Amino acid sequence: MTPGPPWRGMRRAGVLGINGRNALYTLRCNPRRFYPLVDDKLATKRLCEAEGIPVPKLLATAHHHFELRRLLAELERFDSFVLKPVRGAMGNGIVVVLGRRGDRFVRSGGREISREGFLYHAAGIISGLYSLAGHSDSAMVEERLEAHPALAGLCTDGVPDVRVIVYRGVPVMSMTRLPTRHSAGRANLHQGAIGAGIDLSNGRTHHAILRGKTVGVNPDSGVSVIGVPIPEFDRVLEIAVHATDQTGLGYVGADVVVDARLGPVILEMNARPGLAIQLANRAGLLHRLEAVDALPELALPLRDRVKLGREIAERCREREAA
Amino acid sequence: MAALSRAALFTGALLIALGLGVFATKTLVYGLPVRPADTRGLWQVELRITVRGDGRQGSVTALLPGPAEGQVVLDERSTSDRLQFSIRSRDDLRTGVWQGRLEGVHEIFYQFRVQSRGVTFPLPDGPVPAPSKELAKGYGRASHEFPASALEVRDILDRLALPPAENAVDRLRKVFAFVAHEVATAASAGSDALLTLSQREGNETGKARLLVTMLRAAGIPARLVRGLELRELASPEEQVWCEAWLGTAWIPLSPTDGFFAERPANLVPLGNGGREPVEATGAQALGYRFRSLQERLRPEEVALLMEPESALLADVSLYKLPVGTQSALRALLLFPLGALIVSLFRNVVGVPTYGTFMPLLVAFALRGYPLGPGLVLVAFVLAIGVGTRLALERLRLLMVPRLSIMLCVVVLSVAALSLIGDSLGVRDFFAGVLFPIVILTMLVERFTIAIAEEGPREAFVPLAWSLLVAVAIHPVFRNAFAEHAMFTFPELCLVVMGGLVWIGGYTGYRVSDLLRFRALAAEGARG
Repeated sequence: MTPGPPWRGMRRAGVLGINGRNALYTLRCNPRRFYPLVDDKLATKRLCEAEGIPVPKLLATAHHHFELRRLLAELERFDSFVLKPVRGAMGNGIVVVLGRRGDRFVRSGGREISREGFLYHAAGIISGLYSLAGHSDSAMVEERLEAHPALAGLCTDGVPDVRVIVYRGVPVMSMTRLPTRHSAGRANLHQGAIGAGIDLSNGRTHHAILRGKTVGVNPDSGVSVIGVPIPEFDRVLEIAVHATDQTGLGYVGADVVVDARLGPVILEMNARPGLAIQLANRAGLLHRLEAVDALPELALPLRDRVKLGREIAERCREREAA
Repeated sequence: MAALSRAALFTGALLIALGLGVFATKTLVYGLPVRPADTRGLWQVELRITVRGDGRQGSVTALLPGPAEGQVVLDERSTSDRLQFSIRSRDDLRTGVWQGRLEGVHEIFYQFRVQSRGVTFPLPDGPVPAPSKELAKGYGRASHEFPASALEVRDILDRLALPPAENAVDRLRKVFAFVAHEVATAASAGSDALLTLSQREGNETGKARLLVTMLRAAGIPARLVRGLELRELASPEEQVWCEAWLGTAWIPLSPTDGFFAERPANLVPLGNGGREPVEATGAQALGYRFRSLQERLRPEEVALLMEPESALLADVSLYKLPVGTQSALRALLLFPLGALIVSLFRNVVGVPTYGTFMPLLVAFALRGYPLGPGLVLVAFVLAIGVGTRLALERLRLLMVPRLSIMLCVVVLSVAALSLIGDSLGVRDFFAGVLFPIVILTMLVERFTIAIAEEGPREAFVPLAWSLLVAVAIHPVFRNAFAEHAMFTFPELCLVVMGGLVWIGGYTGYRVSDLLRFRALAAEGARG
């Protein structure tokens, strides 16, 4: 081992830092005017539906406080659903309703919420409590997705998703995010979800972290999270690239859920995707991003670009292993 | 991949070179001082008078500082619209008079610099000669204000058993000790000499009047003096004290502040006698306010700045602005330095804080206080705010009204703290905090939401970092050298901006990246 300052090792491993991501990738490749397409989940949904990309079905929306009673009335027809802020960030403000018990809703994790509590929460969403800049927001209700049986066994609570980083139309890195009891069903790494890096070439998880540290099993169940094949992974990558193609953004994280019924659907996209995916994959992003920049031609059919991304990932992994 | 792009490197270097170039020219060519001088006792004082009239002839009279032992008045200036200004000097009383037709609102500014050091007056050893006839007539007689011949005054002097008349120094001491120690001071008590005596309690003026009355009754000429107590980071306070004649000189003494035969350096006498500092005739309304600023330059250096060799330099010198504007700008020009520190912490170290400039504002709020008590104040207001926020949670109110209620509670708690401060004798307790307190309301809201969303531990980390960054900025905000440098050389802002361009263009790792990805660093080192 060559002793040296940590940044030299990190540079060699191709680690992308926060300043580097902001200055070199998001600021440069993501024109500000396209941000609303991914920050606004309704806009994302419309965009995908227009292209025939599968998304969870929208059940109801409320843009103003006076619409909340109507929202509640419309939900009478459904047993389970998910309440979200349209412009929320980092999974904040989301309420997952699994069913009813008398007059109350049963939330994921077994907690209950009264109808008044549900309305108060929705009012908070409209007031902008969970929105990116604190501006007033809208509340939306979607159908609840159910994890594909191959992934459902990995976590006891919540729905796992697959995050794909797409750079200039080429998928470069991916991980699956597994909610834990500690993350209260949410698939956000900083809230305590497990991040398992996926080998793009074979679609299997190869390394996993929990709160920044390497893990091999889900501590809730003891089930191994390494070597798990992601169902329909080809399709996951394809709709991720297809959806990000529509946004005009060059550096995006697409969140895909493999639903038991619908197969892969686009949940949302993010113009400032987090960097912990590097820890989950035990690999830096920089080499892969530079490899994409070195490609002679990027105006290729979607499937060819997915193939290119997998090849780049394989090459980089071989180099890292060497 | 370079950690800094060439364009950013160049732009930053250009800004820094520009700023340093102007700075170097001003110091090397024109000789402006880089370091603040040791100018304790040099003050800039401004009197601002607002007077309103209905068109009649009238005048405004103000007591002006005169020559006094240990005190030099440097440059006096006055500006007033539509009024004639003249200075009148009689005996050792100087007054400024502004005359003319008082119509509508007139603003009068009077500014001076004063160099003042503490003076101790030697007391005569031997017997003190009897005062001259003139002095005895002017300052030894009973009057309405100083009823020296009243029965109860004679009574108390008898009871004090004063030493014989030729031993004036001991007489003075004995009377002074009585008024200073046996008569209580209370701001709410009366200002009449006899009332103060009978109740054994008086305000500052009441005690001073009683002392003068008793001294006159004891055959020692005495008079009242009005003046200003100059204070750092606060407005000057009007003060009343006494002077007694001991054969050769007027000896200052204060039964309230307790000085005897000395005058502290921060006291500037404005005149003796019963006159108010500012009076007006023919006016409908009159208001005035003193402001002061501790001067960081020697008189000759100030002259250099006010009238330098280069006319351009004189035009852009901030030293010619009114005192109030100057002290605001002195504080404001420290903000770029604070912002630089915030940027370093956020973009190079990589710590999370609530709100981009929250630490800067908290540090500014604490500017007037030492760190410890300042943090206690902030913690107190935060605790009340978070407590209210949690209590309001049950009512399920909408966000904007709820935030507004918290704002009311925060403002009320500040008012309560000010009252507590006042009763403890701390004036201007919250003078500087008022503005950022409102921002604390927002901090409370974000902190409580974070507690609910992410748990107390995750919510506490950015709060702790916010306060830590504020603590890092605090000494800069209280640093006399930084204040002097930024105010005398505002072009240093360009240097700060250059540094910010460099930080903004830095695409290398943050310290937080190094910690977070250290496992990958080991990977890279192995490869």
